[in-house]
Amino acid sequence: MANDIEKRTPSTLARFRPNTDILEREDGFHIFMDMPGVGKDGLSIDLRENELEVRGRAVYPREENAKALHVEFGDGEYVRTFTISDGVDREGIRASLKKGLLELFLPKAARFKPRRIEIQAG
Amino acid sequence: MVIDFSTYYDLPSSMDSFFEELWRPSAISQRRMAYPPVNISEDEENIIVASEIPGMDTEDIDLTLNEKSLTIKGSKKNEVGNYYRQERPTGNFQRIINLNIPVQVDAVRASMKDGVLRVVLPKAKECRPVTIAIDEQ
Repeated sequence: MANDIEKRTPSTLARFRPNTDILEREDGFHIFMDMPGVGKDGLSIDLRENELEVRGRAVYPREENAKALHVEFGDGEYVRTFTISDGVDREGIRASLKKGLLELFLPKAARFKPRRIEIQAG
Repeated sequence: MVIDFSTYYDLPSSMDSFFEELWRPSAISQRRMAYPPVNISEDEENIIVASEIPGMDTEDIDLTLNEKSLTIKGSKKNEVGNYYRQERPTGNFQRIINLNIPVQVDAVRASMKDGVLRVVLPKAKECRPVTIAIDEQ
């Protein structure tokens, strides 16, 4: 319910798709997202059924009495949604935010992990 | 593939991003032109340079101040693994910011928070505006 209300409130922040790397390692999938200016308070990660939605708000403090000479970035909201398949162990999803870089770790469900098949000598 | 990442094929959202490009606030005119993005502002006493360099350790960023310019230099490493998608820039980057007025070299401070570098360069005293009192005779 709270989410519905949130959605209806128009966001005045510019929305950006954060640059994202998705890679697979033996233990699972790692997603790296560039979210400069986003602190822990400004970040939300929601998993609804198969959708993993990441939102981060970067709001920079106003420089009092300062005059902008050259502007290439500003306040904004980073939004990105991923669809997650059954191959991911939902309970094991971990996120860490360090230095404006969000790392999501999506472990593979046990049955999707690579395993060695023993050969029986007959 | 184990994960079906919808962002690959999601037409509506790629349309969205197309329109986002069109309606981008005009103040942010040069986004994506150069890496890393830099904001420059000034007040009466300082020049303030801010730059978005996420995911970097401060030791890996090389900040050099010359007589007339400030250089931000560094190198971003690749992650190890099998890439499905790579959008984050990697490799060497460098940006040179020209300073049109002299600064107090010893008093320059730099800090980094949430992947945003902020350098405060105090202007040299001789460049600050000075109010001159007029003697009445």
